[in-house]
Amino acid sequence: MAAIELRKLTKSFGAYTALAGLDLSIGDGEFLVLLGPSGCGKSTTMRIVAGLEEPTSGEIRIGGRRVNDMPARDRDLAMVFQNYALYPHMTVGENIAYPLKIRKVARPEREALVRAAAERVDMGHLLTRRPAELSGGQRQRVALARAIVRRPQVFLMDEPLSNLDAKLRTVMRGELKNLQRDLGVTTIYVTHDQVEAMTLADRIVVLNKATIQQIGTPAEIYARPANTFVAGFIGSPPMNLLPGRLLDGWFSSEGGRFPLAHAAGDVLLGVRPEHVRIAPEGDGHFSGTVFSSELLGDCTILTVKAGDALIAAKLAPEAGLERGAPVTLNFEPGRMHLFDAATGLRRGEV
Amino acid sequence: MNQTRATRLGLMLLQLLLATVVLLPFFWMISVSLKPPTEPFAIPARLWPDDPTIGNYITAFRPEFRTYFLNSLVVSLSTVAITVSLGLFAAYSFTRGQLAAISALIGLVVLAQMFPHSAIIIPIYKMMRGANLLNTYWSLILAYVSVTLPVAIWMLRGFLLKLPAALEESAAVDGATPMRVFWDIVVPLSRPGLIATSVYVLIVTWQEFLFALSFTSTKEMRTLPVGLNDFIGQYGIRYGELMASSVMVSLPVMAVFFFLQRYFVAGITAGAVKG
Repeated sequence: MAAIELRKLTKSFGAYTALAGLDLSIGDGEFLVLLGPSGCGKSTTMRIVAGLEEPTSGEIRIGGRRVNDMPARDRDLAMVFQNYALYPHMTVGENIAYPLKIRKVARPEREALVRAAAERVDMGHLLTRRPAELSGGQRQRVALARAIVRRPQVFLMDEPLSNLDAKLRTVMRGELKNLQRDLGVTTIYVTHDQVEAMTLADRIVVLNKATIQQIGTPAEIYARPANTFVAGFIGSPPMNLLPGRLLDGWFSSEGGRFPLAHAAGDVLLGVRPEHVRIAPEGDGHFSGTVFSSELLGDCTILTVKAGDALIAAKLAPEAGLERGAPVTLNFEPGRMHLFDAATGLRRGEV
Repeated sequence: MNQTRATRLGLMLLQLLLATVVLLPFFWMISVSLKPPTEPFAIPARLWPDDPTIGNYITAFRPEFRTYFLNSLVVSLSTVAITVSLGLFAAYSFTRGQLAAISALIGLVVLAQMFPHSAIIIPIYKMMRGANLLNTYWSLILAYVSVTLPVAIWMLRGFLLKLPAALEESAAVDGATPMRVFWDIVVPLSRPGLIATSVYVLIVTWQEFLFALSFTSTKEMRTLPVGLNDFIGQYGIRYGELMASSVMVSLPVMAVFFFLQRYFVAGITAGAVKG
C-alpha cells in the first residue's frame, strides 16, 4: 500500500499536449477516479503512473520513492485493462498465476494464492478454461483476480467496466468497490462514466483538455462544481446553464427574470433539473412551452423552451405535460449556482 | 450478394477449368512416372498407362537420391530455422520499435526483395568463394536466408501488427522484462505467423535450383532440384525416372502445404484488410 504523488506532470505527443502540469496527491488506500471526456488526459496520467508512458516533464512518486526512471515491472502495480488483456494462450489459472510465476513464487504457494484470488471473484471453478471460452463478465473477473493475486502497492484500472452490458456493470461496480475496501489498496480508476465515478470514488478528479478542472468527493463535485465544464459533465440530465445578466438586484435572461442580489455582471445561472419546479400560474420566473416530456419510470424529465433556452426539470412521474403546453417555472432558492460568463468559473451559489 | 443459378454454374465451370489447367502437369507427372520406359512417347498418346509400373520409382530411389534428399532437408530446415528466428526478431523491432528511423527501414527490406536471383548470384558467389564456403551447406543456407528473410520479415510483421499492445503492456506491469514479454507473450501468440512463414521459406528453398547448381560442385553436396538433372543426359532424357523423382521431391512440400495451408493463406493476407 502506498500514497502516490504527481508533481507538475506534463506529456506532449508532438504538438499535442495530453497533460499540462498536473499536480495530484493520492492518499494511501484511497480510491481515486479520474473522470473526463475522451482525450482529456486521464488514460495518459494512468499510463504514466504505470510506467507505460514517460512524462515529458514532472515527477512521479509512489510510496515516497521517485519512480520516473523505474520500469513498469519494478513499480509493484497491477493494472486492469479496458479489453482485459488476458493472455489468450494461457488458461484462467495460468493467467492469474503469471505475475507470481515471474516473481518465482514456489509452485505450492502459487497454486494456493491463485485459488484464493480466483475464489475471491467467483472464478474458482473455471481455472482450466481459456479466455476465449469465457463471457465478458468472466474475463473481467479473471483480470481482477490477476490484479489482486499478489497484493500490489497500487491498482490501476483503465475503464474496466466499459465493455460490459449495463446490468453486469452495476453488479461488477459493487463488487469492485467491496474488493477495494477489503484489500485497502490505493486505486486509480479511469472512466468517462460519471455514474461509475460517483459510486466508486473516495475522490474524483475531473479532467478536461489536459488540465484538472476540480478535485473533490463525489458529493462536493456534485453540489459545488468549480466551473461550467464540471457542472455540465456531472449529473444526468446535466445542469441547466442559462446565460444572463445580474444588474440592480435582478437576474435577467431571455426566458425571464427574477430578483437576485449579487455583484453585477454577465453570468451563467446553473440549476440542476431536480431543483426546477413548475410554478403556479403568475408566480413563475420563467415561462415557456413544453418542448418534450419523457417518462423514465421513477421520474419525468420535462424540457421547457423559454426564449432560446431549453430548461430541463426533473419532476414526479405523473407530472408529464403535452408538448407545446404553456408552463411557468421557478428555481429552488439556495440551490442555484452562478458562474462567470467569460471564464466559466464558479462565483457562488444563490 | 445475389447470384443467379447461371452465374453460379458459370463460375463453377471457370473454377473447374482453372483447376484442370493447374493440375494437368501434376497429373501428367504422375502418369509418366508410372509408365514403362517405352510408353511416354507412344502414339497415340495415353493419358494413363495401360500397364502401370513402379519400376521408375525403384530405379529413381538410388543412393544418390537419398543423399540429395538429406542435403535438401538439412539446407531447407536450417534455412527455415534461421530465417524464421531472425525474421521474428526483426519484425518485432519493426513493429514495436520506438524510433521512427527503424520503422522507415521496413521499406528497404522490401526493396531488397526486388532483385532477381540471377542479378545477385555473382556477388553472392564471390562472397562465398571469399569466405571459402563454396560447396558447403553454409553457402546455400546463407544465400537462402538472404533471399527469404525480407518476405519473412514482412509476413511476420503482418501478424505482429494484429497482436494487441495491451497484452505486452499487461505482462510488463505484471513484472516481465522485455525479453520475458517476448518469449512468454509474443512468441506463443505468433505461432500461426511462424508456421505460415516457415511454410513459405520451406517451399522457396526446397525448389531452389540456380543457387544450388552454382554453389555446389560435387554430387555429395547436391540438393534434389539439381539432382533431377542427373536424368537429363547428353543423348537422352529418362522421363520415367525423372518424373518418379519429381513426384518424390514434390510430396513432402505438398504434404506440408496440405496440412498447413490455412496458416499460409492467413499469412500472406495478414494486415491486408482491417480485421
